[in-house]
Amino acid sequence: MKFLLSLHILVLAFIISYNVKAKNQIVADLSQENVKITTDFLGAKILLFGAYDGQKGDDIIVVVTGPKGLVTVQKKEKVFGIWVNTKSVNYINTPKYLNISSNRDINKILNQKTQKISEIGLNNLKIRLQPGKKVRKEKEWREALTRNMLKSKLWSLNENSVSLNKNALFRSYLNLPSNVITGQFEVKILHYRNSKLISKELSTINVSKSGVSAEIYNIAQNYSTLYGIFAVILAVLVGWGTNLIFRKV
Amino acid sequence: MYYHTLTNINENFMYIYLPIAEQPIHSLAILGVGTFLGLIMGLVGVGGGFLLTPIMMFLGIPPPVAVASVANQLVAPSVSGVLSHWKRGNVDFKMGTVLLLGGVVGSSIGVVIFNFLGKIGQLDLVIKSSYVVFLTLIGSLMLSESLNLILRKRKGKVSRGKLHQHNWLHGLPFKTRFRKSKLYISILLPIFIGIIVGILAALMGIGGGFIIVPAMIYLLGMPTSLVVGTSLFQIIFVAANTTILQASQNQTVDIVLASILLLGSVVGVQVGSRFTNILKGEYLRLILSTLIILVSLKLLTDLITIPSDIFSVIISR
Repeated sequence: MKFLLSLHILVLAFIISYNVKAKNQIVADLSQENVKITTDFLGAKILLFGAYDGQKGDDIIVVVTGPKGLVTVQKKEKVFGIWVNTKSVNYINTPKYLNISSNRDINKILNQKTQKISEIGLNNLKIRLQPGKKVRKEKEWREALTRNMLKSKLWSLNENSVSLNKNALFRSYLNLPSNVITGQFEVKILHYRNSKLISKELSTINVSKSGVSAEIYNIAQNYSTLYGIFAVILAVLVGWGTNLIFRKV
Repeated sequence: MYYHTLTNINENFMYIYLPIAEQPIHSLAILGVGTFLGLIMGLVGVGGGFLLTPIMMFLGIPPPVAVASVANQLVAPSVSGVLSHWKRGNVDFKMGTVLLLGGVVGSSIGVVIFNFLGKIGQLDLVIKSSYVVFLTLIGSLMLSESLNLILRKRKGKVSRGKLHQHNWLHGLPFKTRFRKSKLYISILLPIFIGIIVGILAALMGIGGGFIIVPAMIYLLGMPTSLVVGTSLFQIIFVAANTTILQASQNQTVDIVLASILLLGSVVGVQVGSRFTNILKGEYLRLILSTLIILVSLKLLTDLITIPSDIFSVIISR
């Protein structure tokens, strides 16, 4: 299966690369564009592959950004001997999933300034504090955000993970952890030559709940009281049923 | 390569994705935990929730989901337990009804407080510290009580004495006769106990058995033989009320998690309740109090040791 898939990709990539050569372009595809969270979901591994019109020394950076929204950072302090959440800072416009992959160290591909302008790198994201609150030592909070997002595997930085082949093909794997958030994921593939962007390709991945798992979630959201009553009835029936079974034993 | 693929499938098979907690969990582990706690519950009549909720949190289930789903699962072993105790005539339905009226009011209040604490981000702390306070208090009380009884019996001095101590609590108005429990006490007392236990039950994700059982013995003076069945009877309604309120207000009841837990626990309760008449009450309480103190110590350690990262993040869904 795996062999067939890679053969398929190889053939496809060569066909693509034949067309690419002429136009100074990059073409990419994903092994999976729709990720379904079902009852046996344990995370997903997506193969990202394609062809580019490259020369020796060219670089590829892949940036995958998930849905953005509010992320709260909490800080614990010791109060009467107990560690208590005492302060919190809200970050808006924060990607709830982020994966940056490249074929070598990003610092070798782009200088700091270019990284900042093109928002590449964990510290160059345009994340804003929720307005209306003054925060002292903002840097500390921002570092805590990055550290904790990396720990949860929702953010990742994988330098040296994009493999290049004959200056024409590239391949990279993308890991979506089991705690991934549903929504639309934007995939950006950037092709650099001497630190200059010469072509890029955009794609999307849709992550959604599916099957029984999705139905349970939807019922719990839309018919919440009925769902609660049903949960209780189910428990009563199971309790009663076991009693009947055990009475006869 | 093929070998690797096969083992992967086998391992993956055991995991099930929880639709509300939004994470996979090992189904056999959850089933085992459910069975073990059902066993304790069947033996002692309490202990389903107060051990289960912390364990769920240790396994990484978000506290709001843990609390709500444990409340849901508690309904099943309680129903099953009450039916067995009823058969042996060990349920005081009048006392149970009075207690549950208070319990339903209390658990409704509890869910409101729960929501408020969640909003200000102190839910985790309040849940854990309430556990430490209540478990330490009740655990040490029960421990000394049961040790005393065991020592006295060893010496051969068993004094029957009065059924219970009379104090100012018995002077309250609206006195009612509870024939089954051989009590003539104010109805306000069990209602008040019900309310307090209901609040704590909703807040802590427990049936409230570990509070209501000692309260029934020490405050109401009920006969020990009736305590377990009657407390299970009122837990059904408190847990059901908590489940429906949590589901409708917070959408935190994970029916898949609750189902796996309850399948294990109903079997455990049946097996456990078969041994209640064989094992002596004071030994049961000795075991339970030791368990209570151990859980409370573990939680206390969590609260006072330096966290690996003093910062944490909450990702809004």
